[in-house]
Amino acid sequence: MFALGGLLRVGSTFFHSAGNLLLPVRTISTGSCCQIRMHAIPQPKQVDRWNEKRSMFGIYDNIGILGDFKAHPKDLITAPCWLKGFRGNELQRLIRKKKMVGDRMTTLDRHNLEKRIRFLYRRFNRTGKHR
Amino acid sequence: VTLDTALPPNLRLPSNLVDPDRLKRPPPSEDSSLPLIRKCDAALPAHLSPVRTWVDTLESKDSEPLGLTELHPDVFAVTPRLDILHAVETWQRNYKRISHASTKVRSEVRGGGRKPWNQKGSGRARHGSIRSPLWRGGGVSHGPRGPKSYYYMLPMKVRVQGLKVALSSKMAQQYLHVVDSLNIPTPDSQYLLELIRSRHWGESVLLVDVSEEFPENILQATENLKTVNLIPAIGLNVHSMLKHEAVILTLDTVRFLEEKLLWHDERYTFLYPLKLPYSDFP
Repeated sequence: MFALGGLLRVGSTFFHSAGNLLLPVRTISTGSCCQIRMHAIPQPKQVDRWNEKRSMFGIYDNIGILGDFKAHPKDLITAPCWLKGFRGNELQRLIRKKKMVGDRMTTLDRHNLEKRIRFLYRRFNRTGKHR
Repeated sequence: VTLDTALPPNLRLPSNLVDPDRLKRPPPSEDSSLPLIRKCDAALPAHLSPVRTWVDTLESKDSEPLGLTELHPDVFAVTPRLDILHAVETWQRNYKRISHASTKVRSEVRGGGRKPWNQKGSGRARHGSIRSPLWRGGGVSHGPRGPKSYYYMLPMKVRVQGLKVALSSKMAQQYLHVVDSLNIPTPDSQYLLELIRSRHWGESVLLVDVSEEFPENILQATENLKTVNLIPAIGLNVHSMLKHEAVILTLDTVRFLEEKLLWHDERYTFLYPLKLPYSDFP
């Protein structure tokens, strides 16, 4: 719709006849835009800034410094066991997952994991500038 | 030509940011009659003088301060390093973060092993499988892959300095208050709220005590309150201090914090990880 108006605006002359065609001719949309229709502007979502999780966020993060180093903040993370206190790119994460959890996985998941490791190994070590 | 001396709208601060009632009580002067309850345990460097603060009680609403305390300047009066505060705050947000966003690659999407139509002759574009990223319902080529962690650790001394800077900033803005202990006469939440209102401490209060066991009254009073929270001294962290407006420490907490935070100024570097036993530590 607006593309039509834009084209006509660009190529129009200074005559009155071209001026009538500056607006889009159609009054209904035929395309894939404007699919979301609303009767009114939606209400902003009410966020409780002081619920239990938000007010107690970050507690015990300094348990090492203030607690005689008996625990480390990485022990507080809730994560799959192969990601606790570990950061790596995709290949490193997958290799660690296979090492730690590989025997417990379903056959399909294990097969996909091995395929992905093989693909990433070849991609990182055999293609591109950094081999 | 008119000179516009007013600030542009993006730099104008609202006038109700600072509550003037809170700043009415000046810090204790040299010659005040109240007793000095606690002196600094650690040896002070010669060029620094201790910070003096009032010690209040929670027993009654309109009581006068009990006395004065001296706080170590290397913990409660360090230079306000906003960059360290920012670094520690972002670390606290991100080191625990695990993003579980995951998409399937074309090899993992169900189906798509067979070539849909012959390479030549059908007139349609050539394709090898129905699950390639070009197809609707096909795999995502460069999407998020599996649970990903954003874990990293800041150096220990940076985290310690972050705590010191946060405490000093609260002290400098008069949001830090010292109390002798957390004993309240009644387990009533209204009493706490009125006490906080009358003393102009702020909207949100963080109460810190050393021991894990707290008196029954204060436990019950803070249970149903959202903005007044109770934590042990081990749980102190920069994010909670920044989230709550006022921070209330007991005298035991002050002693504990000074002992833990000042040790890092004069320690040798660790030769091996702390998990292994040291003969002269803890």
